[in-house]
Amino acid sequence: MNRIRESMEGIRASRELKAGTLRYLERQRGRRRHTVWGRGAFYGLAAAICLLLVFKVGWHSLYGMPTSYISMDVNPSIELGVNRYGRVVAAEAYNEDGWDVLKHLSVKNKPYVQAVCSLLEDEAYRKYLANDATLVFTIISDSPDAITEELKSLDEGVPYRILTYTSDSHCMEEAHQYEMSFGKYRAYLELAEYDRSVTVEDCHGMSMGEIQDRIEGCRQHEETEHSGNHGGHHGGHHSE
Amino acid sequence: MRSPEDVSRAVEAHADMVRRICLVHLKNEYDTEDVFQNVFMKYMLYKESFESDEHEKAWFVRVTINACTDWLRSLSRRRWVPLESVLEEGSIPEDTSREVLEVVLQLPERYREVIYLFYYEGYSAVEIAGILGKKENTIYTWLSRARGILRQKLGGEWA
Repeated sequence: MNRIRESMEGIRASRELKAGTLRYLERQRGRRRHTVWGRGAFYGLAAAICLLLVFKVGWHSLYGMPTSYISMDVNPSIELGVNRYGRVVAAEAYNEDGWDVLKHLSVKNKPYVQAVCSLLEDEAYRKYLANDATLVFTIISDSPDAITEELKSLDEGVPYRILTYTSDSHCMEEAHQYEMSFGKYRAYLELAEYDRSVTVEDCHGMSMGEIQDRIEGCRQHEETEHSGNHGGHHGGHHSE
Repeated sequence: MRSPEDVSRAVEAHADMVRRICLVHLKNEYDTEDVFQNVFMKYMLYKESFESDEHEKAWFVRVTINACTDWLRSLSRRRWVPLESVLEEGSIPEDTSREVLEVVLQLPERYREVIYLFYYEGYSAVEIAGILGKKENTIYTWLSRARGILRQKLGGEWA
């Protein structure tokens, strides 16, 4: 044995050091299990919250984004934004009569037919539907037929006239620049085709019944003059 | 995490060596227990398996040296005690060749390392180079210089 080895031979780990180390390691083992579990629970919870937030943001962006629009014009002019699930996620009034209705009637989150029915049944709204009024639905949608059919079915047994039209987002953008619902603006554009002297401001002060009557008058006048050959509608189809 | 039985076996198998490396490096009985526990803690958490007992032993050598180095780097933890007090702490039996140990412990750290591994653990210079991650020639140089110091202090018959 060399002298160096001999000098270190007596250096050994004491029984106490070994036993103390094993006790220390067992304590650490318990804590670590707890920590790992605690850490796992923490990360799990954090992941769940993140997923929930992502889901909520994703859901909100999907749910809260209108994919179709319905403009309801009598004299109150109200636009409803309808999401992909057929529920109303936005309701805007474009004249004082409209605001009077919406300030006491909430239609958000209702299926759009139910929202429309609750408007039609609302006492404040109903007074505009008396005296053979004309209710005009104008629809902007990628698939407007289903909405049109649903709204046309509301026609049965009511004392007022219901007309449905379709329009487009360009018309809506222009309408909003004039602070007018796109339903009423579409009607203005149709009337302006017959009568160039009419202005947006003129239409602001007219009910939809009045605008429709003038359109009808112009159309009949034109038909008389041109043997039934009348001008087309601006921005959409009309069905009665 | 390794089982309590495995950790217990490793403590029995390597405790003395770890204790010696700690003393050679730290020259401080007070810190030895902390580093000693840290080394076996690392073992308990080490997930890889060893190819052989020799592989495991070399792992302990390397980890203990690194743990000692890390400990010494932490200035806030340094609690230097005179060498005399290390030798008088009672952990070293009376029959130990104190003179040789004292001279070895006074060598620079890197020389202590190679002297211990070469003369006590019986590793070759090539193996020491592998364990310490140094070039073989570096180990030969350190061994040569350490021997020179030992020869100077202990005389020709030191080894």
